Amino acid sequence: MFQEILVGLIVIAAFAACVWKLMPARRRLRALVALDAWAARRPALAEFRERSLRPRIAKAVGSGCAGCAANVGVRPHHRPR
Amino acid sequence: MDATVTPLRVALVGVPNCGKTALFNRLTGSRQKVANYPGVTVERREGERVAADGRVLRVLDLPGTYSLNPTTLDEAITRDVLLGRLVDAPSPELVVCVVDAVHLPIGLRLVLEVKRLGLPMVLALNRMDVAKRRGVKIDAARLAQELGVAVLPTVAVRRGGADTLIDAIESAKWAGHRGLSSPAWQETTAEDAEQFQSDLRGILAAVGYAPPADNDLGKRVDVVLLHPLGGLLVLAVIMFLMFQAVFSWAEAPMDLIERAMAALGAWVGAHLPAGALSSLLVNGVIAGAGSVLVFLPQIILLFFFILALEDSGYLPRAAYVLDRWMGFVGLSGRAFIPLLSSHACAIPGIMAARTIPNWRDRLTTIMIAPLMTCSARIPVYTLLISAMIPNRAIGWFNLRGLIMFGLYVGGILSALLVAFVMKQFAGKRQYSPLMLELPDFQWPHGGNLLLGLWERVKIFMNRVGGIILALMIVLWFLSTYPAPPLDATGPAIQYSFAGKLGALLEHVFRPIGFNWQISIALVPGLAAREVAVGALGTVYAMSAAGDDLSSQLQPVIASGWSLATACSLIAWYVFAPQCLSTLAVVKRETNSWRYPLIMAGYLFALAYIAAFITYRVVAAWA
Repeated sequence: MFQEILVGLIVIAAFAACVWKLMPARRRLRALVALDAWAARRPALAEFRERSLRPRIAKAVGSGCAGCAANVGVRPHHRPR
Repeated sequence: MDATVTPLRVALVGVPNCGKTALFNRLTGSRQKVANYPGVTVERREGERVAADGRVLRVLDLPGTYSLNPTTLDEAITRDVLLGRLVDAPSPELVVCVVDAVHLPIGLRLVLEVKRLGLPMVLALNRMDVAKRRGVKIDAARLAQELGVAVLPTVAVRRGGADTLIDAIESAKWAGHRGLSSPAWQETTAEDAEQFQSDLRGILAAVGYAPPADNDLGKRVDVVLLHPLGGLLVLAVIMFLMFQAVFSWAEAPMDLIERAMAALGAWVGAHLPAGALSSLLVNGVIAGAGSVLVFLPQIILLFFFILALEDSGYLPRAAYVLDRWMGFVGLSGRAFIPLLSSHACAIPGIMAARTIPNWRDRLTTIMIAPLMTCSARIPVYTLLISAMIPNRAIGWFNLRGLIMFGLYVGGILSALLVAFVMKQFAGKRQYSPLMLELPDFQWPHGGNLLLGLWERVKIFMNRVGGIILALMIVLWFLSTYPAPPLDATGPAIQYSFAGKLGALLEHVFRPIGFNWQISIALVPGLAAREVAVGALGTVYAMSAAGDDLSSQLQPVIASGWSLATACSLIAWYVFAPQCLSTLAVVKRETNSWRYPLIMAGYLFALAYIAAFITYRVVAAWA
């Protein structure tokens, strides 16, 4: 039974990943911005916003289609010398 | 970092191929693609730098342009960014004009034009190492005096080569420029152009500019490379040797990965109790994603050659040689670089078509870009060639390499044919001459090469570990459930969702020789072409009903498919647009649904017809 539940969770996660990856870049950006606005109202998610969400949004805004060879590897934040 | 403070914007401006992107990478720590030919950057790129005092600098890498009077879309982006014409993007607080010190006169004219905008500006005199080596003389202090801006020598490709520029940017007094809505600008008139030329001559004389010493060896090589027939022959030989090497040298590491995957599958199968989890890992993840991973060595080798050619300065010469031949089918030599980029992926190729000034030429280039053999097709081609074509030599050459070369040539020829047909419908072509600056020859930069290869490996691994893995898991689920009835006689997959879908699709694809397993694999293959290989791995692993198939897809295909079916699938993949991202980019670049729909329609029709003819001819002949 445990195996079936685990496999079910993996399949659901894979399905969600497929939907996310195949979503047009503009809609993905809109979804990230909406998620950011939602998370902003929850102080507990402040770290998640700063660490995970912000860099993703910056990357989505600055580099367009991340799957494309022309735009790979942008590191938006560079530490001072 | 305080998110409420608006970052200060620094724009990198210069003529094409002067080293802006290399400087951008140096300033921001990014790894944007750099190459030794004009037109690599076709849209603005942004990166951030945190200065020593904590200020955030937003660095903009702009497409190269010779003037602020644009003739192409990418040049218009540069002008619009400088003038603050883009939504939510005021003009930059500081402009860094990048000039190739070896060819100072070419870049200086743009500097004069930008200076007239009145934006705060510094000048980066790039490639100073090469300039010194080739005897170029520039009095930088006098140049600064003449222009009235700081002039900073840089070597963008060298670590620490931009430190003086970085210091200047970080310590710059950021004037109250933000108050300006947009700098004053008007189109350059003939009088302006004459004035610029006159100023330019005066400045060059004042700074004691001495042009680079002639490169006799380069000139002699160019006599051959730019010869209408000799150049074409050299290009064909280079391409041919490249594909031979890709096939021959990759064999050993591919075998190694294949065996490792098989061993991993066997190990996981032996250590996990039989059940859904074991089946998911062995048949879905390892057989699916593992069968795509096998092709990593070939992709690395192919990109090694492409990157070396890019860095050497050969590619614009190839474009020059091909200009006349491409003209016969209604394309200009400018289409060469976008079409060559499409061999990596059609998406950057389609975007690179922005450098083509004529809309009709640009549209034709966009429409034929997916016909170039992109790296996603390599796994499909290699799998089928390895399974169906014997590994033997013909003279000095490997037969499989010859077939692979033939497929690449086939893609190029079919693209030219489509361009020719489009030319017949498009009416008379407006003549647009090819004006291309030929860069100096140079030995490929080892660091650039390694960085470029690393980026390609990352892209490939991200796809294998991302979309391909996710799709394989979903496909495993669809191939496993619902479970077969108790009185089932065939393999379990036939009773699953995927099996039923495959049986339905088989009616459509049977005339071109595809069985139900191939028909299933085509569906997830719509996301990306190489996914079809992983899907075949999963579907056959599931079909085997417990046999130890794992990642051994080649022998299954060799024994289960006819030569006609394999050839038909190859013909299908030469044309079919199994890449939704490409269609999405065409929509964005043409700002219309019309062209992606036409593209998908004509490519599917071509794929079906080509596969049908191939299947019938090979079946009759074999």
